[in-house]
Amino acid sequence: MKLRKMTSVIMAAAMAAGLLAGSVTVNAADTADITLWYYWENEGHQKALNEMIEKYNGSQADYKLTAKYVPFADFKKQLSIGASASELPDLVLLDSPDHASYASMGIFADVTGKFDVSDYYDGPVASCTIDDVLYGVPFGCNCLSLYYNQDMFDAAGITEVPQTWDELKEAAQKLTTDKVSGLAFCSLQNEEGTFNFAPWLWSTGASSYEINSEGGIKALTYVKSLVDDGVMSKECINWTQGDVMNQFISGNVAMMVNGPWQIPTMKAEAPDLNWNVTLIPKDKEFSSAIGGENYAVIAGGNEEGALNYLEYATQEEQVSFMMNSMGYISADKTIAENQFSGEEDAVYKTFVEQMEYAKARGPLAEWPEVSDAISLAFNEVMTDSATPEEAAETAQATIDSIVQ
Amino acid sequence: MDDEKKVTGRKNVVMCIFSVLILCVLLFPLYWIVVTSLKTEKEIFQMPPTFWPELLNTKSYAAQVASGDFNMFQSFANSFIISVGATLVAVVLAVPASYGIAKYHFPGRKVMMLGFLVTQMLPVAVLLTPMFIMFRNMHLYNTAGAAILADATIGIPFSVLILKNYFASIPKELEEAAYIDGCNRFTAFVRVLIPIAKPGVMVCGIFSFLYAWGDLAYGMTFIIDQQRRPITAGIFNFMGQYGTKWSYLTAFAVVTIIPVALIFIFMQKYIISGMTSGAVKG
Amino acid sequence: MKKSKKLFQYDNVGILFVLPAFVYMLVFVGYPIVKNVILSFQDVTMRTLTAASKPFAGLENYTAIFHDAVFWKSLTNTVLFTIACLVVQFIIGFALAMFFSKSFKFSKPVRGLLMMPWMIPITVTALMFKFIFGTDVGILNYILQSLGLIKDNIEWLTSTNTAMFAIICANVWIGIPFNMILISTGLTTIPKELYESASIDGANKLQTFSRITVPLLRPTIESVLILGFIYTFKVFDLVYVMTSGGPVNSTHMLSTYSYKLSFEMFKYSKGSAVANVLLVILLIVGVFYLRATKEDD
Repeated sequence: MKLRKMTSVIMAAAMAAGLLAGSVTVNAADTADITLWYYWENEGHQKALNEMIEKYNGSQADYKLTAKYVPFADFKKQLSIGASASELPDLVLLDSPDHASYASMGIFADVTGKFDVSDYYDGPVASCTIDDVLYGVPFGCNCLSLYYNQDMFDAAGITEVPQTWDELKEAAQKLTTDKVSGLAFCSLQNEEGTFNFAPWLWSTGASSYEINSEGGIKALTYVKSLVDDGVMSKECINWTQGDVMNQFISGNVAMMVNGPWQIPTMKAEAPDLNWNVTLIPKDKEFSSAIGGENYAVIAGGNEEGALNYLEYATQEEQVSFMMNSMGYISADKTIAENQFSGEEDAVYKTFVEQMEYAKARGPLAEWPEVSDAISLAFNEVMTDSATPEEAAETAQATIDSIVQ
Repeated sequence: MDDEKKVTGRKNVVMCIFSVLILCVLLFPLYWIVVTSLKTEKEIFQMPPTFWPELLNTKSYAAQVASGDFNMFQSFANSFIISVGATLVAVVLAVPASYGIAKYHFPGRKVMMLGFLVTQMLPVAVLLTPMFIMFRNMHLYNTAGAAILADATIGIPFSVLILKNYFASIPKELEEAAYIDGCNRFTAFVRVLIPIAKPGVMVCGIFSFLYAWGDLAYGMTFIIDQQRRPITAGIFNFMGQYGTKWSYLTAFAVVTIIPVALIFIFMQKYIISGMTSGAVKG
Repeated sequence: MKKSKKLFQYDNVGILFVLPAFVYMLVFVGYPIVKNVILSFQDVTMRTLTAASKPFAGLENYTAIFHDAVFWKSLTNTVLFTIACLVVQFIIGFALAMFFSKSFKFSKPVRGLLMMPWMIPITVTALMFKFIFGTDVGILNYILQSLGLIKDNIEWLTSTNTAMFAIICANVWIGIPFNMILISTGLTTIPKELYESASIDGANKLQTFSRITVPLLRPTIESVLILGFIYTFKVFDLVYVMTSGGPVNSTHMLSTYSYKLSFEMFKYSKGSAVANVLLVILLIVGVFYLRATKEDD
């Protein structure tokens, strides 16, 4: 009897749980639903994407695309879990340096020959390619350049925009006061930090895989000296690129390294700020890192639908609309060159110019590990935990164990 | 039956002042986020900082209401459903379990106790993948149900360990009296023991609710639709590579806390009196 | 005899009360734990994640992490962090619970308000403390400077020496109400008559505390400490948001390092192995706890 009563309690609990569970959505009519995952938390980006998707859904009746936002910090996890549970969307818009890793999981469909990428920048195309197989198509790209506060330049009597490392440091020293740091760039110990450190490393002629070289040590030493001389705040190791931008528009930072996607936000938030953009000053050669996203089609999802959408989304009209509203540069060179024709777009031109010097990270399936070693190295020197030589040696050992 | 000795006179005043001091120190961070949420982004980074906004900026709050496809009210309702659901599941399962552990010496009791402890030991992140697969097979993926069932797993062991002490402190005589009055074990438990342990049950309910309310990992991982996600998921709308907007972030935090705080303040009299009335007496 | 038979039946009925919760936990958490243990003995990386059969790796993952300096750093960090947090939050929480158990005018409302830190989602708390501990614009440095306690700004979260301290502060802030309310609840189970008779017998406050309060509160204290230990030892959100283990791995915990290996570096099996080390340590603590609670056996 007691047993029966206990069972009824269990049943009640189970029912309560079941009731609250809700129902599963059911597809309507004969239009097939396709899903896209993306990670932009920027509202302008989200709006632009949804607007384009709405247009796409209105343009045909076979497919209905829904975009789902998965936060950047969760994106890798969600894809990993989704891959092991085979619960993935039909399409993803992902960070280009991670593309190779996911492709090696075997979750992306081969789209070789389905898109004409001959006119695209090499870096973005390389990021979707493994062993000559195309596993995606570039969405759009960006790169890093140097922003500077024109009024602060004028006040400090700087007339020439810095072009070399020495000039940069000199300018930064003049600009630094007890309230303002001369320079800032995101130095987080993650991919975002590596993205911002890469231009310095590559400018010396060293590649991502040769950090324990003259160039590698020189880059580490230079970054360390920026912090040691007090022209760059050590807080940079905790600042995202967005934080750096916020510091810049609040007038706490006179120069920053950042991407063009910040421009729409900066114009909206600080319309009166007098700033400009120039190439990142060089050691041996101008350099920058390519960022941006790629589209990838999930193998075994609704591949046909995904491809149908991609055909639409890679048309010039759509690409221009997305790039311009997001402050991105098209991965398609021809579109990129005609993209910024208006006078107010002059600052974007610098980014297009910088693209010429920009390189991609990887592509390598193990890139996250290489990136981790690099970001650890510059964090060590910036926090005085190791000398540039020691940090370079440790990082090199890790990199060598990954890349033979 | 409030037979506690009331503190009176000067001692009362001194203790009141002292308690307010403690309050100020411990709740300063909260004050600080409220103030920050009312400043403009520019004023937030100003040095020296202002302890009260020079320019009252309520834009951050307006932005909470309408931002992308993330709906503040909807997500609040989602969180509420998830938290209430998880609390119900946790309390319904944990109350009898803690009673069983406290009052009966069946074989395997210690193993079960250890079991409850062990299930609490792994960081949430490593449980995500297997749980995800389970919920997908149960057709609960992308529903509140998945978050409810997952969040309840945080509340249950906690409640069992807390309530067990409560039940253990209830004298056997009370239970025996109930049997004499014609109760069986189950009715004695429901009619006599649960009412006595009510303050403990309340505390467990509150903690289970708050654990579920604060959960981010489960809600984010098992629910993919923005419209179905809990309120904590909104935090990611303001974090990440496009910037920590402190004004938005703090406004978001305040909006998250206020309703819970209101619920708590309204129920507080009941909770606290339940806790301190000394219901469990020898 | 009849009596012993009845007693035997009486005790076994208890299982029925416990079983539903136990089965529930077994299904939803026990099973994932087993899966995780299996994963740690396989070689699952991004290349084998979706493979039908995962290669067996034996103890390889464990040998690899035992040779990993970051793993050892995370382990010592976790232990240090847990002990520091437990001691500080328990002492403050206990003191506050004793203080607010007196019934002065503000005792109940203020104690209620002190629960506030508990209601805030940890992610928000972490961001809040990150903001407060900022070097140049952080309010803490400003206050310390105004009070003349420090001359230069302290680089709380960007120095490998102080980041841990900042995280401990944030965790203690969350832990104080937790300790306070559980001990408060426990205090109500102590019969008032005991204190009365003690004062009649002429016991002083210290004696009452050590002879009555502490012994009678023992089950509560044990639960508070063990729960505190478990929740602190597997701390994740707080560290992840405040420092992500940095600067230079100085605040990595076993949980954050496991997460990083699994979901940022795609080394799923190594991530599981790190998590299992955490599990084993907690398991040992759990067994000790059960041994210590001889109470009514």
